[in-house]
Amino acid sequence: MKRFRPLSPRSWFRPDSAGAPTAPTRADAAIQMYHCSKSYLAGSFALRDVSLEFGRGEFAFLTGPSGAGKTTLLELLFGAEHPSEGQIVVLGRNISRLGAAAVPRLRRRIGVVFQDFKLLPRLTVEENVALALDVLGTPRREARAKVFATLKQLGLQHRRYHHPLSLSGGEQQRVAIARALVNEPEILLADEPTGNLDADLTLEIMDLVVSTALRGTTVLVATHDLSLVDRYGKRSVRLEAGRVTEDHRPAGGVA
Amino acid sequence: MKRLTVLLLYFARTTLRGLRGSPVTTAVAILTISVSLVLVGAFDLLLRNMEDLLDDFGRDLHVTAYLEDGLADAEAEHLAAVLLTVEGVESVRPVSKDEALERFKSGMGADLLDGLDENPLPASIEIQLLPEQRTPAGMRIVVESIRGLPGIGDLGSGQDWVEGYLRALAVVRGIGVGLSFILAFAALLIVTNTIRLAVFARRDELDILRLVGASRAFTNTPFIAEGIAQGAAGGSLAVLLLFGIFHLVLPGLEFGFEVVLGSAPRFFHASEVLVLIGQGAALGLIGSVAALIGNARP
Repeated sequence: MKRFRPLSPRSWFRPDSAGAPTAPTRADAAIQMYHCSKSYLAGSFALRDVSLEFGRGEFAFLTGPSGAGKTTLLELLFGAEHPSEGQIVVLGRNISRLGAAAVPRLRRRIGVVFQDFKLLPRLTVEENVALALDVLGTPRREARAKVFATLKQLGLQHRRYHHPLSLSGGEQQRVAIARALVNEPEILLADEPTGNLDADLTLEIMDLVVSTALRGTTVLVATHDLSLVDRYGKRSVRLEAGRVTEDHRPAGGVA
Repeated sequence: MKRLTVLLLYFARTTLRGLRGSPVTTAVAILTISVSLVLVGAFDLLLRNMEDLLDDFGRDLHVTAYLEDGLADAEAEHLAAVLLTVEGVESVRPVSKDEALERFKSGMGADLLDGLDENPLPASIEIQLLPEQRTPAGMRIVVESIRGLPGIGDLGSGQDWVEGYLRALAVVRGIGVGLSFILAFAALLIVTNTIRLAVFARRDELDILRLVGASRAFTNTPFIAEGIAQGAAGGSLAVLLLFGIFHLVLPGLEFGFEVVLGSAPRFFHASEVLVLIGQGAALGLIGSVAALIGNARP
């Protein structure tokens, strides 16, 4: 059964704030952070007063040395952590005010890729990718078709009955990307996606991730590899000790 | 509707995979539950049989007034008429010496009294109580009010026996309830730990599922189903074991039961079997929910 949806609902969403200073929202912004801080221990900050905005379909690198707060920033965006201070609006939803039940619904609209792939060795490639559809209760036949189409885009369709450990590192990361993309997410977050890969595979994976943004998905890639930033000439946000120290937008780039 | 079917199928697959994935811990949990429920069920069965017996016994609970030897028939008839007016008495039935002898012979064998010249058995009047009076207390009232009436030698009733039986029943019930609580608690701990281990073994999968947007209900359901399945399997195994034990032990007991109490012990009815399996399932459910509480990772 398909439910009727009004046209262009996104622009109608207001942030879920109750009494708090209402964050201004823009219909074309996928991610908005206002004076966000995250502290795990009193007095020490993993992120400090970060205000950033990423548009729909925008591609951006998050750079900075280890411990700069890149991973924390991504974790805030998919609701794995809550900000200690500030407001975050992701796809029109105010993350800091989301109830426990709303976080999973938001995550279904966000794909996440990690350096260590996070694939389940017991499951086949196809089953790993299908996890993202199992969660939605997608009928099996439909799920298999979607998984096949996604694997095919990534050149992995012939590997679908293999187990992850029999695949190369680059192939495993492509499986992880397939899992992140199979639901056609509006945002793709990648935390050092090429950190475990050699130079050739790094470019292969990065080309794939960059092409995702061309299809309208907002893509954030955390990396400490500055050569990638130079190579792709995209927006790059530099974090140091939890603060934004540079937000470089190439001339003629998006946003 | 379709989505629900898909989800149910997914949960069934995941639950089966979980059970198959850790056969040893699953088997230990099922065995623990079944051993606990065998003991609980054995007490339950004993109690039910004892209660059934009490019901049977209560149905023909009556008082026998043995008449003094040499009482004339007219006097006996008068006595019977008097007894009928006593409150709580439903009916009376005189039993002559000859009839008592006949009953004894048919009950115990004809030749037991052959050596005697004279019939040693007294005449009696069997006093049937009104249904509401057929309790140890009700019987005591009737016995007290007819004791000492002229012509009555002795009074026989099952009163003492019933009172003793009720005390024994209370003791068995007390032990059964106490034991059930202890065993249920032990089984609960085992189930809780089994599910905790299963959650731990599958934490990577759970993290990934949460990452791709699984709700807590979605990730918890297979574990709860696993607990219920283990509990129900334990309950079913307990019923089978009890059935086996019952039919192994019964031939030895049956003779005693039949002679002393006049009825054979019974096994659980179908509905009682379902209750036992349901108790196992409930143990599994509570155990798995307990295991999942506190496992609140975002």
